Amino acid sequence: MEAAQRLIQTWVATPRDEEVEIAASGISQGNIKLVHIVQGLGEYLTSDDDDLRNKGVEFLAKVIGKVPTEHLNRQAVVVLLSFFMSKLEDLDTIIPALKGLLALSRLSSLSDEGVIIILNGIFKHVKMQSLVQAQRFIVFSIIDNLLAIRRQVLKVMGNDFITGYVALAEGEKDPRNLMLAFAIDRVILIEFDIKEKIEDLFNITACYFPISFRPPPDDPYGITADDLKKALRSCLNANAAFGPPAIALFLEKLATVAPPTKWDALATLDECLPVYGASSVRNAARQLWNALKLEIFQPTDPLTEEAALKSVQVVIKTIYSSSSENPSQDLEGLAKDACHECITILKEPEKSQAQPAMKILCAFISTTPSVSHHTVSHVIPHLIKLFLNPDEVPNRGASLNLLASFIAALRDSAIKFPDVNASSLVPYKDEVLGVFTTGLQTPSSAGPAISGLHALVTMAGLLDEDEIGFVVSNVNGVLSNDREDSVGVDALDLLTTISIISPVHVSSTTLPLLFSLLPDRAPSRGDAASREKSWSVLNSLSRLCIQPVLFETLVIRLSTKLNLLCDPLSPPTDDDVEPSAAYAHAILSTLATVLEKKVSRGDSDVAKYIDRLVSGLVVLFLGGAVSPKDPSTLPIADSRLVIVAARIVNLIAAVLPAQKQESFIQKLYSAYVLGDLKALSTSARHIWPDGSSFAPFERGATTVQANTLCLFSEALLALHKEVRVPADPSVFLEMLVQFSVDGAKALLHRESAWHIIASVVNKRVTELDGFLKSMLESFYQTAIADASVDVDLRRYAIGAWAWTCKGLLVQNHAQTAVFIERLIDLFDDEAVNWDAARAVGSVAAQCNALTKSNHSTLKILHAQRYSNSVLSRFIEGAKTYAGSKQNAHLVALTFLIRSVPKTAYAHKMPTAGPSAYILLPLLLCGLELPDTEIRTSVIETLLSAAEADTATDAKHSKEGSLVTEHATSLTLTMLKNISIATVSDAKVRIAALRYLTILPKIVRYDALHPQKAIVLRDLSKALDDPKRAVRKEAVDARYSRYI
Amino acid sequence: MSDQTFNANPTVFALTKSAKRRAAKELLWLSQSDESDYDSGDEFEPIDGDEVFDLIRSISDPEHRSLTLEQLAVVSAPQITVTDQRNHIMVEFTPTVPHCGMSTLIGLSIRVRLMRSLPARFKVDIRVKPGSHNSEHGVNKQLNDKERVAAALENPALVEALEVCLATASRRGQPVEAGPY
Repeated sequence: MEAAQRLIQTWVATPRDEEVEIAASGISQGNIKLVHIVQGLGEYLTSDDDDLRNKGVEFLAKVIGKVPTEHLNRQAVVVLLSFFMSKLEDLDTIIPALKGLLALSRLSSLSDEGVIIILNGIFKHVKMQSLVQAQRFIVFSIIDNLLAIRRQVLKVMGNDFITGYVALAEGEKDPRNLMLAFAIDRVILIEFDIKEKIEDLFNITACYFPISFRPPPDDPYGITADDLKKALRSCLNANAAFGPPAIALFLEKLATVAPPTKWDALATLDECLPVYGASSVRNAARQLWNALKLEIFQPTDPLTEEAALKSVQVVIKTIYSSSSENPSQDLEGLAKDACHECITILKEPEKSQAQPAMKILCAFISTTPSVSHHTVSHVIPHLIKLFLNPDEVPNRGASLNLLASFIAALRDSAIKFPDVNASSLVPYKDEVLGVFTTGLQTPSSAGPAISGLHALVTMAGLLDEDEIGFVVSNVNGVLSNDREDSVGVDALDLLTTISIISPVHVSSTTLPLLFSLLPDRAPSRGDAASREKSWSVLNSLSRLCIQPVLFETLVIRLSTKLNLLCDPLSPPTDDDVEPSAAYAHAILSTLATVLEKKVSRGDSDVAKYIDRLVSGLVVLFLGGAVSPKDPSTLPIADSRLVIVAARIVNLIAAVLPAQKQESFIQKLYSAYVLGDLKALSTSARHIWPDGSSFAPFERGATTVQANTLCLFSEALLALHKEVRVPADPSVFLEMLVQFSVDGAKALLHRESAWHIIASVVNKRVTELDGFLKSMLESFYQTAIADASVDVDLRRYAIGAWAWTCKGLLVQNHAQTAVFIERLIDLFDDEAVNWDAARAVGSVAAQCNALTKSNHSTLKILHAQRYSNSVLSRFIEGAKTYAGSKQNAHLVALTFLIRSVPKTAYAHKMPTAGPSAYILLPLLLCGLELPDTEIRTSVIETLLSAAEADTATDAKHSKEGSLVTEHATSLTLTMLKNISIATVSDAKVRIAALRYLTILPKIVRYDALHPQKAIVLRDLSKALDDPKRAVRKEAVDARYSRYI
Repeated sequence: MSDQTFNANPTVFALTKSAKRRAAKELLWLSQSDESDYDSGDEFEPIDGDEVFDLIRSISDPEHRSLTLEQLAVVSAPQITVTDQRNHIMVEFTPTVPHCGMSTLIGLSIRVRLMRSLPARFKVDIRVKPGSHNSEHGVNKQLNDKERVAAALENPALVEALEVCLATASRRGQPVEAGPY
């Protein structure tokens, strides 16, 4: 008793949860009796002071809330109930009394009568308008609790309960309370007998539609508009009786202008209509159709259009899903009328309204089988009739376009309902096929005809083999016509699709046709039309011949052509060899393109072409190089051919297993290093003339022979790590380094050697201690650092050095730093510092030599690691030094930034944070350098940073893009780079103009305004640039400044 | 603008492909990249009809915002004549119906687009195709009178309508990409 008294006194003086806890645990342990607390509270409960009374009731309510339910027996509950009920009448204690009732409402010991008493009391005494949100929340919680555990009692109360609740819920505005109220509404709507109260319940739910709530920023409650929309929809679709008034309401809201409201209305329709049932929807069918039609025929935006189409489907499904599933039965009602209406519009297929009408008809296909059947059986005959009508000949393209999209929709829905739709097309198959093939003949309708055929062919099980053959032979006709536009491309796509389904028709009819269009001899220099033609045929072949069986034919036919063109024994008769070389180049490029596609697809048949294609190519090029006639008059003398051939060698060699690579590379090694050409080909044909010598690494080797090094290099690059070159790697590499510095005559030869160096260093570094040591100890001193050596030779030596670095760097080798350090030492040497800086900057760049497909040892993040080690040093250097040394650092910096992934330096870029302004001013300095390559790369770096800014919408973020501070200097520098008078390289001008276009997207207008006039004036000069591509960018840049 | 509909259901035409230009010099070699488009030396590429057409083809029709002038065949490449030496450009356009009240607005949007996108040295004449409009003379006069054009561009409501039409102009014949919805 005293304990209770003491607790109460303490609490009334300073309300803390502690006393409530103690009292509650006291009751549950039996130390304190509930009756003691009530007695203890006596003086407060009867006090004249409103505040004290309030506190007294509140304490009791809190304690009850904390006490475990099993410690409150029936008797106690009855007492407490009548106590709280009496307090409910007192205006000052109503709030704590509600809290007490909330606690009681959770108790299972509350009697049924108690439930009724509580509710009646609340209905009678509580005026929701006078309570604040938290208090109203308590009222809703009480009802929610009772609804959860005493639903039966509430149902017995029936209309009394509903009337009372409706009065409470009416006018509620707070989202937190509404979430609860909607949950209650849904239960009532589903479980209660609400016949008489439908209108009231509709009023308290539908009045919230559409939800326009927007959560305040930093909303702690986390209720989104979507939560509310979902909760409200779950009320609106809870009872079919809502149908008629709700549909009217939704349609009214759909007619508003704001797209979000439209989307909400459409989405709600989709959820509600199936519940409202066929009869309600049928009654409102006309209105629904009229409203939805408007959204489709005059769409405000694509999303609304799509949503409206979906709603149309829901309407149709709701009306017709219950009716009998007999498709042959005649269709009545909305679907029939709407279908008829759309078909009427289709009578003018070329008009703009025909498209949306067709979209609706396509939507009908995926509704119910009966509607789908009806639609198909009316639309297809209609369009076919239209196509065949002589008066409508000018509109054939448009008719076919509609038919094609209809059949494509039919195909897509056939995936969902396979049995119904595929069969519904069967009766019209021949006619449709006939119409499309006729359409192919006329240019204006060929495009739609091809897409229609595409849809037909891809519909599973519709066409048989003969019919596919018929399609192929008709499409072949399109290919053989000389077509400039996209029709040819589409036709090829169609044939490619067919070649996957059934390659036999393509290989037996299309390929012979295409090959017959390819001349054996190159078109002469003046014959641009034939050249164009053969290019387009080759292009077609490269798209078509991906399937193994087709590719095999391609390789055979093209190798034959190539041998004819380049045969060293019967060179082209006329003097002009360049057209032949160009033609051979186009053929080789075609093969390379297809191989690239096949390799990226992972086709397993690529490997076998090491014998069928690569051997032949090697023999062709090497045979030409040692030809007794002057090899430089042969087509293969052109280095462009060797480069493409080398690409083919590399692609095929890379997919070979190690064992095959080993035997292949042995033969090549014998030929290239030992001069033993016989090792390459043991075939009967005498390709190697007697006494011919092949020594491409010799100082005196002919250019043609040295060019073929490219083939050797690309083959070596592709080797697996375990495949050995039959030589001591150190000796081999030293020979290559020497060759690249003073033996090679052209960049191509040097690069071939360098690629081999990088690759061997990369794969065999453990065996190369001797080589690395001699590089560092003697080669650097004698070939690079020695200023008395010819500058060009020093540059080549730096190249060899840089590629050695590359091979080390990508595997994070410890020696990398030593090699890089030597290059940085050269920054003081004005003769070569620019080259050294370039090498240091771009050493981490991606290159085609060291890749995963070439089985190189690549450590992840090697570029980041490298950039971390040198970036700050370059930045420091560029800031502290002056003159040529500063430039060297700038050059190294810009090349580094261009060559490594953005993440490696992003922390130094302005996007990263306010503290990092380090790079931007330096990059602006880089823009002052005369080298256009550097300028382009700087601007491109800035561009990619700016694109990242637009992606994160930095302009509207709190601190804004950090470029803002430099906007003026950036603008002025870019303006310097857009004028033809000062910058001759179009690439720089284009990049600068692009940057000017993007700047307004990342910088607030007020930062740009001061230069607006000068920018517009300078841009108007760029509008008259001699280059079309520059003018295009200038137009866009100017447009971006107007808005 | 009035709410009156002039042509509720216009004919839609297929888009033409962007003009393919052959470089003047003989192309012998199949180029691997498109870069060579603008990197081929110091060759001078004069402004031609196709380029002007590219500038205006994707302007939206004021009555059907989702359709471009090209789709409605209001403008086409053959209807544009460029005389580079004489700094003169003639653009002819065809209203979809002879009573089209939007013709002036269409013409004005073409004029503004070209004003912003062409070097100032050009004199641009814009006309409706002879015989294609009821008040042909009036429209032509409005479009080619400097004072009247300037006066029209003082009208904020008109400029707003123009900007909406011009917003799509930089698509240059490319189809609409998927919107940011």
